[in-house]
Amino acid sequence: MSGKANKAFTKEEELLLQDFSRNVSTKSSALFYGNAFIVSAIPIWLFWRIHALEVSSSLAWFALVTAASTWFLALAYRNTKFQLKHRVAVRREDAVAREMSKKLADDKKMNRKEKDERILWKKNEVADYEATTYSIFYNNALFLTIVILSSFYLLRTFTPTVNYIVSLTAASGFLALLSTGSK
Amino acid sequence: MVTKYIIPFIAIATLNGAFATSCQNPKVEAASFTSLDATVVTQIAYITEFTLKSRIGVNKYQVSWTEEPSKARSGVHEIHILDEEGFASLRRARRSDPVASVSPLLAIQLQHPGSYSGPWVNSEVLATGISIVVAYVALRNKSKILA
Repeated sequence: MSGKANKAFTKEEELLLQDFSRNVSTKSSALFYGNAFIVSAIPIWLFWRIHALEVSSSLAWFALVTAASTWFLALAYRNTKFQLKHRVAVRREDAVAREMSKKLADDKKMNRKEKDERILWKKNEVADYEATTYSIFYNNALFLTIVILSSFYLLRTFTPTVNYIVSLTAASGFLALLSTGSK
Repeated sequence: MVTKYIIPFIAIATLNGAFATSCQNPKVEAASFTSLDATVVTQIAYITEFTLKSRIGVNKYQVSWTEEPSKARSGVHEIHILDEEGFASLRRARRSDPVASVSPLLAIQLQHPGSYSGPWVNSEVLATGISIVVAYVALRNKSKILA
């Protein structure tokens, strides 16, 4: 901002930086990895029951592919969330500010700066929550669609094992790649 | 839709003339079966078993045939039972008109409710369709948020 604040960020700036950084909290990270794991494991059922993939001989593949896919998907969740969060914050800014001002209007002890901080914090929370949940939904929807399309149509003629490995890694890898794009 | 199957009633015809006259007022009791699941069979079977009671005694008969599932129509299928005279007059009528029919001695109705030949939409097609719709909604909303 101003030349004076070049060396050290103000508290508000630090908060902002932290809020809009790519780093996610432990809780958010657990949510991402947990979700990614579940979604990566679901296709095992599809390949086992529908594509008649032999389970006992494919356990190593299941573990490997699920792990890789979980990692890719969590990456995609994180990046998509980062992309979305700015826009969601901008879109929700006015509404959150209005609501918080109304809520804090009666509180006479709180000064202006503190109120602004509260609003900023709330805005961040709302944007974070919306971006996180939407990112999970978006990536899950695309992941499962790609898996279904590739396993039933593109790779139909291949053996179930090849179909499984290629479908899952291609779908999750593609989403991870897509999420790194700027748009 | 009524499909008529005319079965010459050989059993009666081979009996003596006394039977033919005695069988003026026969009573029939029929039970039937048709294949309902066409997913596991190549032919639809129609079987009817009937008991014919007349003055000379009780006789049991079974009539069965099969059809391609694509040709098997649902509804009532009628089996015409003819005695010797009826069969003779039918043959006469058929000489000039190959689809002619005569009034039968009695008719057995066989109800075929139609057979199941699998779902209208394959589950994989349905899954693909739904997932594409959901993915489309997701993509659209994302571009809306980012716009």
